[in-house]
Amino acid sequence: MPLTLIRTAWTLPSVLLALMVVLVAGSAAEAQGLKVGILHIGSMADGGYNQAHAEGIQAMKRNLPGVEVIEVENVPEGADAERVMENMAKQGAKLIVAASFGYLEPALRVAAKYPDVKFFHPGGYKRAPNLTTYWASTPEAFYLMGMAAGRATKTNKLGYVVALPISFFLANINAFELGARAVNPKAETRVVFTGTFLDPAKEATAANALLDQGVDVLGVIVDSPITVVQTAEKRNAYSIGYHSLGAQKFAPKGWIGGIAFTWGNLYTRFARQVADGAFKSENILGGLADDYLTLAPFGAAVPADAVALVNAKKQEFIAGTTQVFAGPLKDNRGMERVKAGAAFPLTDLGKMDWLVEGVIGQSR
Amino acid sequence: MTAPPESATLGIAWRARLTSIATPAGLALVMFAGVLLAFGKNPIKAYVDIFGSTLGSAYGFSETLVKMTPLVLTAVAVAIPAKIWLINVGGEGQLYIGAIFATWGALTFGHLPAWLLLPLMVALGFLGGGLWGLVAGLLRARGWVSETISTLLMNYVAILSLNYVVFGPWKDPEGVNYPQTAEFAPSAILPVLGQSRVHLGLALGLLAVGLFAFFASRTRWGLEMRAIGGNADAARRNGLPVGRYVIGLMFIGGGLAGLAGMCEVSAIQGRLRPSLSPGYGYTGFLISWMASGHPLGILGAAFLLAVVTAGGDILQMTQAIPGSVVNILMAVILFVILGRRPGER
Amino acid sequence: MLGLARGLLSGAIVSGTPLLYATLAELISERAGIVNLGLEGVMLVGAVVGFVTCVATGSATLAVAAAALAGALFNMIFAFLVISRRANPLATGLALMFCGVGLSALLGAPYVGSQISGLPEIPVPVLTDLPLVGPALFAHDALVYLAAPVATLLWWVLFFTRWGLSLRAVGENPVAAFAAGRSPHRLQYQALVVAGILGGLAGAHLSVGVAKAWAEWMTAGRGFIAVALVIFSKWHPLRAIAGALLFGGAISLQLQMQALGVPISAFLLDMLPYVLSLVVLAVWGGARRHAAPASLGRVFRGTE
Repeated sequence: MPLTLIRTAWTLPSVLLALMVVLVAGSAAEAQGLKVGILHIGSMADGGYNQAHAEGIQAMKRNLPGVEVIEVENVPEGADAERVMENMAKQGAKLIVAASFGYLEPALRVAAKYPDVKFFHPGGYKRAPNLTTYWASTPEAFYLMGMAAGRATKTNKLGYVVALPISFFLANINAFELGARAVNPKAETRVVFTGTFLDPAKEATAANALLDQGVDVLGVIVDSPITVVQTAEKRNAYSIGYHSLGAQKFAPKGWIGGIAFTWGNLYTRFARQVADGAFKSENILGGLADDYLTLAPFGAAVPADAVALVNAKKQEFIAGTTQVFAGPLKDNRGMERVKAGAAFPLTDLGKMDWLVEGVIGQSR
Repeated sequence: MTAPPESATLGIAWRARLTSIATPAGLALVMFAGVLLAFGKNPIKAYVDIFGSTLGSAYGFSETLVKMTPLVLTAVAVAIPAKIWLINVGGEGQLYIGAIFATWGALTFGHLPAWLLLPLMVALGFLGGGLWGLVAGLLRARGWVSETISTLLMNYVAILSLNYVVFGPWKDPEGVNYPQTAEFAPSAILPVLGQSRVHLGLALGLLAVGLFAFFASRTRWGLEMRAIGGNADAARRNGLPVGRYVIGLMFIGGGLAGLAGMCEVSAIQGRLRPSLSPGYGYTGFLISWMASGHPLGILGAAFLLAVVTAGGDILQMTQAIPGSVVNILMAVILFVILGRRPGER
Repeated sequence: MLGLARGLLSGAIVSGTPLLYATLAELISERAGIVNLGLEGVMLVGAVVGFVTCVATGSATLAVAAAALAGALFNMIFAFLVISRRANPLATGLALMFCGVGLSALLGAPYVGSQISGLPEIPVPVLTDLPLVGPALFAHDALVYLAAPVATLLWWVLFFTRWGLSLRAVGENPVAAFAAGRSPHRLQYQALVVAGILGGLAGAHLSVGVAKAWAEWMTAGRGFIAVALVIFSKWHPLRAIAGALLFGGAISLQLQMQALGVPISAFLLDMLPYVLSLVVLAVWGGARRHAAPASLGRVFRGTE
């Protein structure tokens, strides 16, 4: 073979090889300090679910300056999530936050392969020796929002734009309606499921559809609350935010309240746990009393006496003297779901696949 | 660009074919580097990351093979009907229906041992995709609808059908009402190679390519297909059953895409859920086209695109570039190839 | 009931507008003999450029203009490859789609979650007060109002101007058109510029008008629906209006049904437009085939 051909044929691979050696050598001399990986299902700037997690990690970084973070957005569930997590583990991450419901299976698989890496999964229902699940139980907060909405509404029609009929979301809506009913017996809640966690066009259409039906308070459970809150504001309706405190600025006039996840301190605690070797697998279910569930300040639309009522109820929940899903409760098809004197436990929300009386919509 | 004459030595023909892929690929890499630079990103680091992560380790290489598997199948799914100039853009839908059929098998017969269940699921996957392609083939054979349009429309029906079953009748009773089916029994999962995720599907894909090459070039059917491809009217006048080929090839092509669906759902996902395919059907079309329907070319192009798409994850992790940017690289490679081959039909 | 009808009409119009622009874009392209499967990519580029411009300048008008320009420029890649380099239109189209997805994701990434006031609604005085139809028909943004007139304009241009006639001739039989002194390549380029503008407008309306947000791949297949719509409307701009309303209505119908509390499967409803297209095509197959421009999909190897 001619010399030139050999030279050209071998040049590129040699260069690549050299670069790879440098890369490997470089990565071997990695920095001290904990490496944390987090993967998001959507964009970190969505003003909602993903942003809340991202802000939590940022807060953790601020509290623990020595920590290094590998952050990836828009990772689809399934095989890609698994690959990303494996790559993080290979890059030396010792703590991985798999920040989407659908990452549970991939996380469990990677956790089995890397027993010395600790995994944290929000909203999961299965654990492993090195995988902890955590969530803030939101129904109580939704109940409080329902109370505020029930007082603010003028048409007695409340509405929710929700991604999917997942049990946790159904529980939230049920709690909302129960709270609204408690202050306003005529309040009804209509639910529209968009079928996906993020589709602004569909969310806008769904919001408008609800408003066309006379709804004047709109709540939202999708990845980003911005579209629905904006649509409500445009049509002079009230709105309730979710996921992130930032949603309030989109609805200066119609803001009622909101529920936000403020993961910062929790993530800091996780990081300390792993760094100190004090990790133990558990299922963390927080609530109103914890610092990762925050209620946004109420808007001007909620009268002062209503705010007082809500705060009183909040204390009752925290003290444990009231239950959100206290019986008797019937679902919206007339079947009795919770007997008088009993209460649906908040730890069993995974099994709640029905909507309470007063909610107009289907759970399947 | 016409193929070199038969009398040319094998070496020259191979070198010509290689350059016809390598030079555009190289040009594309330069253009993509330009795009990255325009957005303030470091192209050298990006390429090192992409190739390093996909080729530089056993794990990375295995992941590339995993990504390549469905692409090979969907590409052959396009290449086979393309022998008689049928345009199958329905790989996506056929993949989904194949996955649905295979899921039915896994859920209904989960108690069967693997050596019974897996071949059953393979057959079901092939059947599902095949039937989906068959419908388009029938519509075309009867002269009613062009298969380009029908397969395209049927993609949507297929995707929505999957949504219907995972939200409704097949929803996992243990899964907090989340849209996915119950987990498959272990006997319904395709075996993997060692610790990697490379699974039997790769063997199926290679088998498909091999059979395709064999049938196309060494059997009577291959000859008849070429005759129809050359001049369908003349072939019909000479008594060749063109309609039957239309229907049959769409069935086989669809079946292979359905196999890809079965593999994804069995080996990779372990259950059926909405996020099944990130466009494998369409990518398969592009691969088949890039390789001009040539079996070995399909393997090469599938490998190349697997490297590119798998590399997207790394870019995100190391450079904060959105993962879908690799779509640009893929598109640019294609643009360059398209731009240098005038006169394709 | 009245609320449903009103909501349905309004929803159909709002959802149907991006569809109509996209359909018109594909229609003029196909009338010139070129199938563009990459319309999805053009729409995404329009959507992201429109949204980013709106965030940067605060002007919805500038946003729409920028989106139209961006769509036209992006479609020129397709035009160059298919017309001048005689590349396979289907493969080029799909490649264009992938390119659009990636490019829009890259461009839009820093803007996810940005807020805009977007296209303002312009209620028509007096007419908005009409019972029932008033708010449904006359309280929309500029692009919605312009949609049907643009379609009508396109119809008039295609069937009553010399340019339109020449274009259709190219789509039917480019060799004959060439022999008659027309310039097929130049006409096709011009058609694709218009197609790019319309595609960009479709995307812009989606991001700046309907959703007022940006998310990756937010067109969600509307570019492909447009390809189906073109056939559904027999390559005729006026019928495209009806088709877009129908499909747009189907998209919003299932959400409306839910708001009403009507138990109906969302997915079966979602499937309706596609199944409908197929059925219509299959049943009226023969006649429809002759309605397609005869040289659709073939590449004109002129002597230029």
